[in-house]
Amino acid sequence: MTISAPASGAAQGMTVVARTQGQMVRRRFFRHRAALVGMLAFGGVVLLAFTSIGIGPIPGWWDKSYLTTGSLVNQGRPTLSVVPQFLGGEGIRFGEHPFGQDNIGIDYFALTMRGAQQSITVAFIVAIVATTVGTLAGAFAGYFRKLTESVIMRLTDVMITIPILIIAAIVGRTFGDSGIVILAVCIGLVTWPTLGRLVRGEFLSLREKEFVEAARAVGSSAGRIIFRHVLPNTIGVIIVSATLAVANAVLLESALSFLGVGVQPPDVSLGQLIDTYRSAMTTRPWLFWWPGVFIIAIALSINFIGDGLRDAFDPRQTRVRA
Amino acid sequence: MIAFIARRLVTSFFVLLAATMVIFGLTSIAGDPLADLRELPGPDRERRMADRIERMNLDSPVWVRYLSWLGNLFRGSLGVNRDGQDVGVLLREALSATLQLVVAATVLAVVIGVIVGIISALRQYSTFDYGVTLAAFVCFSLPLFWVAVMLKQYIAIEFNDWLRDPVIPPLIIGVLAVAAGLIWAAIAIGDRRTKLTAFGAGAAVTVVTLTLLSATRWFADPGIGVVGLAVLAGGTAIGLTVLISGLQYRGPLYAALAAAGIGVLLSEILDPVLADPSWTEMFGLALVTAAVCAGLGYGLGGLLRRQAITGAVATGLVTGGLIFLDRMLQSFAAYSDRVRGRPISTIGSRTPNFTGDFWETNLDAAGHLLLPTMALILISLATYTRYSRSSMLEVMNLDYVRTARAKGLPERTVITKHAFRNGMIPITTLMAVDFASVIGGAIVTENVFGWQGMGNLFIEGLQQVDPAPVMAFFIVSGTAIVVFNMLADIVYAYLDPRIRLS
Amino acid sequence: MRNSPNEILHVEDLTVEFPTDDGVVHAVRGVSYTLHEGEVLGIVGESGSGKSVTSLAVMGLLPRGARVRGKIVYRGEDVLKLSARRRRALRGGKIGMIFQDPMTALNPVHTIGDQLAEAVLAHGLVPYKQALARAKEMLDLVGIPQAEARLRSYPHEFSGGMRQRAMIAMAVINSPDVIIADEPTTALDVTVQAQILEKLLEVKDAVNAAIVLITHDLGVVAGTAHRVLVMYAGKPVEIGDTDTVFYRPRMPYTAGLLGSMPSLETSGGRLRPIGGAPPSLINLPSGCPFSPRCPLADDTCTAEEPGLAEAGEGGHLAACHHWREVAAAPDPTALFRTESEAV
Ligand SMILES: Nc1ncnc2c1ncn2[C@@H]1O[C@H](COP(=O)(O)OP(=O)(O)O)[C@@H](O)[C@H]1O
Ligand code: SF4
Ligand SMILES: [Mg+2]
Repeated sequence: MTISAPASGAAQGMTVVARTQGQMVRRRFFRHRAALVGMLAFGGVVLLAFTSIGIGPIPGWWDKSYLTTGSLVNQGRPTLSVVPQFLGGEGIRFGEHPFGQDNIGIDYFALTMRGAQQSITVAFIVAIVATTVGTLAGAFAGYFRKLTESVIMRLTDVMITIPILIIAAIVGRTFGDSGIVILAVCIGLVTWPTLGRLVRGEFLSLREKEFVEAARAVGSSAGRIIFRHVLPNTIGVIIVSATLAVANAVLLESALSFLGVGVQPPDVSLGQLIDTYRSAMTTRPWLFWWPGVFIIAIALSINFIGDGLRDAFDPRQTRVRA
Repeated sequence: MIAFIARRLVTSFFVLLAATMVIFGLTSIAGDPLADLRELPGPDRERRMADRIERMNLDSPVWVRYLSWLGNLFRGSLGVNRDGQDVGVLLREALSATLQLVVAATVLAVVIGVIVGIISALRQYSTFDYGVTLAAFVCFSLPLFWVAVMLKQYIAIEFNDWLRDPVIPPLIIGVLAVAAGLIWAAIAIGDRRTKLTAFGAGAAVTVVTLTLLSATRWFADPGIGVVGLAVLAGGTAIGLTVLISGLQYRGPLYAALAAAGIGVLLSEILDPVLADPSWTEMFGLALVTAAVCAGLGYGLGGLLRRQAITGAVATGLVTGGLIFLDRMLQSFAAYSDRVRGRPISTIGSRTPNFTGDFWETNLDAAGHLLLPTMALILISLATYTRYSRSSMLEVMNLDYVRTARAKGLPERTVITKHAFRNGMIPITTLMAVDFASVIGGAIVTENVFGWQGMGNLFIEGLQQVDPAPVMAFFIVSGTAIVVFNMLADIVYAYLDPRIRLS
Repeated sequence: MRNSPNEILHVEDLTVEFPTDDGVVHAVRGVSYTLHEGEVLGIVGESGSGKSVTSLAVMGLLPRGARVRGKIVYRGEDVLKLSARRRRALRGGKIGMIFQDPMTALNPVHTIGDQLAEAVLAHGLVPYKQALARAKEMLDLVGIPQAEARLRSYPHEFSGGMRQRAMIAMAVINSPDVIIADEPTTALDVTVQAQILEKLLEVKDAVNAAIVLITHDLGVVAGTAHRVLVMYAGKPVEIGDTDTVFYRPRMPYTAGLLGSMPSLETSGGRLRPIGGAPPSLINLPSGCPFSPRCPLADDTCTAEEPGLAEAGEGGHLAACHHWREVAAAPDPTALFRTESEAV
């Protein structure tokens, strides 16, 4: 009783600090204009991708499917128009096939939305797996030192010698046929070392701090110290890296699929669409444009969100306006 | 130092060894190595399958195959691929193309990225800074393969078409002039008047230059010429002197100008030597240039001898580079004719069966390298820009930079001697990491541009579940990454005296 | 203000503001002081009271966004109106500065000798060898043994005390008229603080300069400064001869600082810390900035900010509506409660 009293007191003290820090972070984040725009844009893309053609059995508001072929309308050209009539355009309209059709008449809007769904899903799974494994590995390596650290660090040494694209391509070739979830988990399992090293670095500097000493002195278990005391203090680094990991995973997945070692047909992803239609570049350039635009929109908006988070968590520079 | 290198090599060896195990194992189970043969109609299917099983040792477990591959490796052989071709021979052909690409991309990304990042930092919160930041974010978010296809489709074809009649339409001149003006204005600091002046100057210079180039049809038969050479070399001399020692003292300026002048004169006299040189000769010339310029700096530098030597050598080498460029450009018209007016190539790493003199072969290589490098460089460029910007900003706020100012050092010295040197220390670490991602990117780029390079070796091997070429790729890239990491550590220790290599 | 002939540096109504995202930081609000030849002027105040910003303004080392108003007159010339080049000639040439943290104030990648020599070269072209010789002379002067060999050392090979000696050498290498020492001993081990302070005063006499000695520790100025300026929330709140300020403080804040000093007899052996924290420099309280913490505060204090006014002989000025009450108190430090009373 007497021993746990100061510990719980310290914990209470920390939550108070954490909350005010959380508020500060939120305030700084919402002042970051690019991050807000990024958030809106990303939310928009996700909404569009998942509501338009629906998820699995749930139908969406778009009436065409990415699986059914149809007759070619106007050689499959896009019917989307965004220039209003009074500016001499054709008015703002979606039309029959806003993104056009491919050579066998599949509605390309539906196809692109399907690709975006898959790419976003893969990216999130990759990021979650890589962040979890990286955080745990980094935390254990940084906290326990000695053998645990040597083993984990040598492992990351090995992984870092292999360019990410290489190892991901090999894994993708092996597991690409097993569906996107398994593919994504496997990619996540080979892309964690960078984050692991980052977290380890944070742990190394935090483990010597007074509050860790104090927790150790009152007999807290290692697990408790790691998860209750140290990890919350590295949360900024982890959140920022996790966010950027999503953006990188979108690009990685699309590159793999483009090389033919990522998402395999009949599944669709944005990168795979570009690969499929790359020879149609001269005749039907829109088949190439739309997936690219969506990849960029997703990656760019997430990168901006990540930048906002970084600024929000790292208040080192009070900005002086010039 | 030697102990450090030795120890690093030993650890790296084991790290690489472990990595080969991972890659060999994963590649071997990546699919069915006989997939293509199973589809084969006709009677020789069975025979060919048996052949391949025999050749790839598919009856033994993976670890046996790995050990036999490893045994071969230590005997200096990279084995054969599934069709029985010697992988060592395949690698030799693939290596030089990829090496050129990766090295060109890395060097350009570092140089341009660091310069842009530093300017951006020195002009923090300016329009230029915001523009660079935005551009960097866009580059981070671009899918490399998509950019590569775009470049191939639009830039190469359009540019080659345009080269047939290289007249720049007035509209384009106007747009480029406005863009140039905006960049000048964004970099300039001061009130609105200064910015307007900078805009006007930038736009005017662009209009005049482009109009001249267009009117003289310069792009059809480009070259710098003696006058251009003299102007550019003189400008380099003055610019570098401003950076290194300031114009206050004459010694370093005279040394740099002398280096530039001698360079321009020699470019005329050395004409025959430069007709069809070799790389060894070029390297020798560069050494001689450096030595002569060091002498100039020593003789003319006076009290600022050290700075004068640096400035003169740098000027001499840049002037040499300009002369090199001029020679290449002079061969352009002839080369362009020989490749039927399509100097910017989109396929392969060189024109098949092309033979020419030193300048023409280099032009051929450059024409093939241009687009892949442009595509490959984007992400690294953005990375270096962002990192050097934030590194510089961080350093510029440190106490010792304030101390340097408090001593009364000119801002130039504060930045080049105190901030820059320290700001570059973390960049060396970044280089090691980035190099690995450039190698990854090269695979994608080669794929788009149809290079028979190492990336192709890797991807094809992987698709065919054929470990030998995949391993050959990894042995080279892994070694390169290890060596590059070690170099980065050595440079780090050189830059930061607190680190002892031991 | 008096205009005596041997006056070197005169700061008048100096104001520094930093516009930031959170609002304008009023870091310095109307500081004035005069420094005479050979004089030691102490500037005292809690951390955050604007001492460093004041001296950085004098040196012209504030970040680009800072807004500086007022006058900084060096030997009759208003420094703020000088060209960038003339200003640079003053920095390190006529006015040398020593910073608080010697661990970070030296560039880790250049040798001590080089960093000293470049200070010489920044103010006149002499052969590098000669500049190095001058550097060695200075290292000898500040008491670094084996100066010749130490020229080739890097900062990380020096202890904190040695680095601060090197910083002193660097500040005086061009024989300046004024040395600004910003908390020169704060970051050092207690054991070397006294040595460094002594060395600083010795060097000052050797090069015949005046010193602005900045500190949050009254003990440092007690035995060294001729005059003391007390700052609070960016404002000068009391100025006078050291003894006068120490024995006859006229401003409750000064009294509070004296009471929170461990070794002074006036505190009766017990610590009497000032409760509370300095105000935000973005949203200053109305009236006297010290009023939220002041035991004498009343409605007048929160309504109107007191200006610096004559509060004794010999140019003793204080900014307090109730300085007469402070003067009347037998022990002004007793205005504040001791730690045990406060609990
Ligand atoms: N560059 C800056 N931007 C914003 N505020 C600053 C800056 N520099 C100093 N300040 C603020 O000015 C106030 C005075 O600081 P300073 O002069 O360093 O205090 P001290 O008396 O401890 O030396 C502090 O509140 C500090 O936060
Ligand atoms: S003016 Fe009032 S509040 Fe301010 S110091 Fe004097 S008595 Fe205290
Ligand atoms: Mg201070």
